[in-house]
Amino acid sequence: MVKKRPQLDLDDLYRLKWLLGGLLILLSVSTVLYLEIDAWLLMGLTTLGVSLVMVKPSLPSRIPKLFHTLAFPGIVAIFLGDLYLTAEVLPALVRLDILLILYRGITYRQRRDDLQLIVLGLFLIVLAGVLTVSLLFAVQILAFSACALSFMLAVTLVQGAESETTKANETPGWVHRSRPGLWRRVRAATDARIALLGVGLFGGLVVLSGLLFMAIPRVELQNSLFLERFMTKQARTGFSDRIQFGDVTNIQQDNSVAVSIDVTDPSRIPAQPYWRMVVLDEYRDETFRLSKRLRRESFARERTAANLRGQARARLGAQDYWTFYMESGVSRYLPLAGHFEMLRFRDRQHFRVAESLGVVALRDDPVSMTAYRVEGMQVLAELADPGFREVLKESRANEEEISQLELGVSEGDRQIVEQAVREIVGGASLAPGDFAQRASDWLAQRHVYGLESEIPKGAGDPLVRWLVSTEPGHCELFAGALVLLARAEGIPARVVTGFRGGSWNGFSDNYTLRNSDAHAWCELYDVESGLWLRADPTPGSAVLNQETTLLSAVDTREVDRSWTARFDSLRIFWYRRIVNFDQRSQVETIKAVKEATQNTGERLRAWLDDWGNRVKAWVSQPWDVERLIRSIAGMLFVIVASWVGVILMRKIKRGAWRQRGGRLHPVRIEAGRWLRRFANHSIEGELRNDLERLRYGEERSWPKAELVFRTARKTWRQVRRSKSPSLR
Amino acid sequence: MTTATKIFATGWDGPGVGKKKKHGAFRWRNVVWALIYPRREQHMVPTVSGVLLIGLSLGIGMAAYNSSNNILFITLALMLACLILSGVLAWFNFSKVRWQIARPALARVGQSTAVALELVNGKTFLPTYGLDCVMRARPGVKDEVMRAETTLTGKGMDVKAIWKVKPDEEVAHLRLSSRLDPQDSVILDWEWVPKKRGRWNLGLRHVASFFPFGFFNKRLSAVLEREVIVWPAAREYQWAASTGAKWLSGASNISRTGQGSDLLALRRYEPGDSHRLIHWKASARTRQLLVRQFSAEATESFSLWVQSKEAGWAKAEQFEVLVSFAATLAEDLFRAGRLASVRIDDEVPKPIRHWRDLESWLDTLAVLEMEKFNADAIPRDALRTNRNLITFVPEGQAGVVAMIDGEKAATA
Repeated sequence: MVKKRPQLDLDDLYRLKWLLGGLLILLSVSTVLYLEIDAWLLMGLTTLGVSLVMVKPSLPSRIPKLFHTLAFPGIVAIFLGDLYLTAEVLPALVRLDILLILYRGITYRQRRDDLQLIVLGLFLIVLAGVLTVSLLFAVQILAFSACALSFMLAVTLVQGAESETTKANETPGWVHRSRPGLWRRVRAATDARIALLGVGLFGGLVVLSGLLFMAIPRVELQNSLFLERFMTKQARTGFSDRIQFGDVTNIQQDNSVAVSIDVTDPSRIPAQPYWRMVVLDEYRDETFRLSKRLRRESFARERTAANLRGQARARLGAQDYWTFYMESGVSRYLPLAGHFEMLRFRDRQHFRVAESLGVVALRDDPVSMTAYRVEGMQVLAELADPGFREVLKESRANEEEISQLELGVSEGDRQIVEQAVREIVGGASLAPGDFAQRASDWLAQRHVYGLESEIPKGAGDPLVRWLVSTEPGHCELFAGALVLLARAEGIPARVVTGFRGGSWNGFSDNYTLRNSDAHAWCELYDVESGLWLRADPTPGSAVLNQETTLLSAVDTREVDRSWTARFDSLRIFWYRRIVNFDQRSQVETIKAVKEATQNTGERLRAWLDDWGNRVKAWVSQPWDVERLIRSIAGMLFVIVASWVGVILMRKIKRGAWRQRGGRLHPVRIEAGRWLRRFANHSIEGELRNDLERLRYGEERSWPKAELVFRTARKTWRQVRRSKSPSLR
Repeated sequence: MTTATKIFATGWDGPGVGKKKKHGAFRWRNVVWALIYPRREQHMVPTVSGVLLIGLSLGIGMAAYNSSNNILFITLALMLACLILSGVLAWFNFSKVRWQIARPALARVGQSTAVALELVNGKTFLPTYGLDCVMRARPGVKDEVMRAETTLTGKGMDVKAIWKVKPDEEVAHLRLSSRLDPQDSVILDWEWVPKKRGRWNLGLRHVASFFPFGFFNKRLSAVLEREVIVWPAAREYQWAASTGAKWLSGASNISRTGQGSDLLALRRYEPGDSHRLIHWKASARTRQLLVRQFSAEATESFSLWVQSKEAGWAKAEQFEVLVSFAATLAEDLFRAGRLASVRIDDEVPKPIRHWRDLESWLDTLAVLEMEKFNADAIPRDALRTNRNLITFVPEGQAGVVAMIDGEKAATA
């Protein structure tokens, strides 16, 4: 007799449903962790409250009825107040959602409340996914789906088992009847095979979702999602148009990924690449900033588009593509290595372009990952700007001081700086490149590189104080100092911030820039050539960073194979295959599948041909007795082994059935099969009776099944040979 | 008759009942079409959560297309996959489940009758959950032609009217509240109290389930009905003080056949007679089967005659009283061993020897309908010529009187 598995009673089902609901809530509110919305207090409250009621389901019965009456008016009032105070719609909606989830979590729910819970949780998760485009969304939506489906299953089982429903805000009876050992009972009631089947089905669900995702036809409407309008996000990094001392240092302490770059031709990346983002020309009040004049003169009017044509001319030959995935919170300025032919965004964006500066700025700091593709990018150490020559001439003619030449310090500090310049040049008139080299050497002699630096106390500009000291300094101080020295020498100079270097991810084959790669350097203007020359005075850098380093890029690049790189490669996969999956990707996927199928077919054909040729060669070899015996023995072995295998399988199957005590015995199944075969044929003798006895009769009255089936096979062969409907 | 035939004869239905494969019926287009369009007997009705899921999917789909946001596409793909999974699991849940109804042995107006529905899960290792079996009892129409209708083939019929419960119908939900293990069976009982006598069709209307996630209510229509004849209600009656006692006591000794011990006579064997009564010696002598006939235990037997064609039965309620009174009286007399024969209208009187004879007559009585006045009906005076004959006449607005040989004997 097969022992029956115990069943969960109604109270256990209620308890299970309650726990699954709590788990769903905890999963939903965990989105706050990476959503970067100020809802930490609410998240903490919800986590604590729901965890408590999960452990003690009787706690909600102690909530007074007045609380329930005032709950919704209170929540609405809090939402309106939040909206009024913060003036941000989306964060207020998120907090409202969490409040509603909290209320549902700490009160007893009916069926419609359970549905409400799922919708509220889904809203949070999908919103977080849309806003952050983070890989965590993939993990969370899968976990949420599994939990929600289990929850819905529990709700359905409860609905089927309960005879009457509890009224709203009434304490259900199961709360006080809970028995310990729920998980033991659940384990006892669960069949391992069904649990495995459930896991398998969920895996199938994920695969099916993937296939549907790839198969859903895409239409390029290119409307941006409106959500970012309702939320402002400040960049975590210091890449803005106003930088003060110490800001860059903060970035360098952060090792998280800032930008990931896919490039079709990795050899195009130099050994030490510089990715320009922000140009700061004005130095005043101890702050580098993008001057209003430069902003007005260099930046074109704001545009809204998905494509941007650059200054570089189209080249013949294979095009190289650079796909940038910039994480949220980095900057609204796009890192670029130089001029480009075309820049394409994933979605339509609002941006402004300063072609002479080589800067592209989005309207706002993006709240989610920003992807853009650059075609035909020129990776050069100089930036052509012939227009500036005219600006310089004009300013000299009008005796105006332009920001690129203005020191921005007091008279005393100016003299200090000029003294330093005299020490550097020694009375000679140097070209900007030579001056940059000498000034960098001079700075390197006096200062070492250090992330932590202390500017000597005293009067005057802090940068000048550092310049004449021997304190260690970071890139910003070195860059700022070189700019002051160059300007004092009469060379137009400016600070540029962005990223320098990066590492090659050995798993995902992409270039990774981390926030710790943030850097500041200078650009000095060479009037003769009309070029802005890159000069990096930070010790450890090649000051002028010429193109010769390009050739050694492939060999000298740093390949990252750490665990961090492994996790980063997952993120890249997420961005490449999921976030950036568009119509073009769909077509490419279909082509790839088609090619793979064709290749597989060709390979299979080639293998079959090869095998056929081998067999032919084997057969055509000279035969002798020994070879003949060996061949016959081999064939006999195969036949006998197959026959033994079939019999063993039958015996095992019947043995397993015997143990399980199933009603549908395999002998009965086979007898039924034979009866159906003979349904249209009249067969005389005992065969039909025996088959019917095997099919319907009691087991103890069975004749020998093997003999009956052997007779049936023989009879069937005769029927087929005679091709006659009746056999006598 | 093979066991297979027996199985079908008891009325198994459901996805677990093997159906004969049509010759050459397998076509891929049939399989694909079956995936898209449900079969005639299947309905999938979305519930509130199902409508919510569909609405959410539409909303997210529209937002996804409008913004080309792949996060929304992923969410849409996941929701669609959940809908498909729900359908697959619902199919698994119903797979190889079969059911049959056990017809109740006895059904009488006003008395609770147990109608048993047996569910069997024929699957190998998957259980079945959450079945909601809707039983229906409806007054039967003689020689009714059952015709399957769907919402598409119903000509000029209101779709809702198909599912609407008619006034005479009774509907009950039998819920499978626990798990039905594989290779296991369960019996669900419906305590049905018939309200009217006559022919009733007891059946399973459909089997539904919300399993697994409650997105859809999947219904499988069932073609499983049993005709049940509901006997009239038991009726209280009173014997008349003067004559009733006399007839009850049965004072006269009459040599009538019965179950006594004294041999009264020998007669020819009739089908249904007990073999123990065969007188073998006499049979051998006369070369025909003869049985012993014993005298009754000094009690009198009665014949009962119900006339439905008399003009007196103008009111339906009074006619019902007649029918139930006659049935009750017949049963009481049979239990007392004093019922000899029964008759309705112009039929040949039927002897009542066994319980099944009475059952058959009660079945006939149950479906008896009040007819209009028939001038050819036998006049009441002719009844006086039969001995111990019980007849029924109306009394007042709603009463019925039982007359024995023309004398008032009992009143209901």
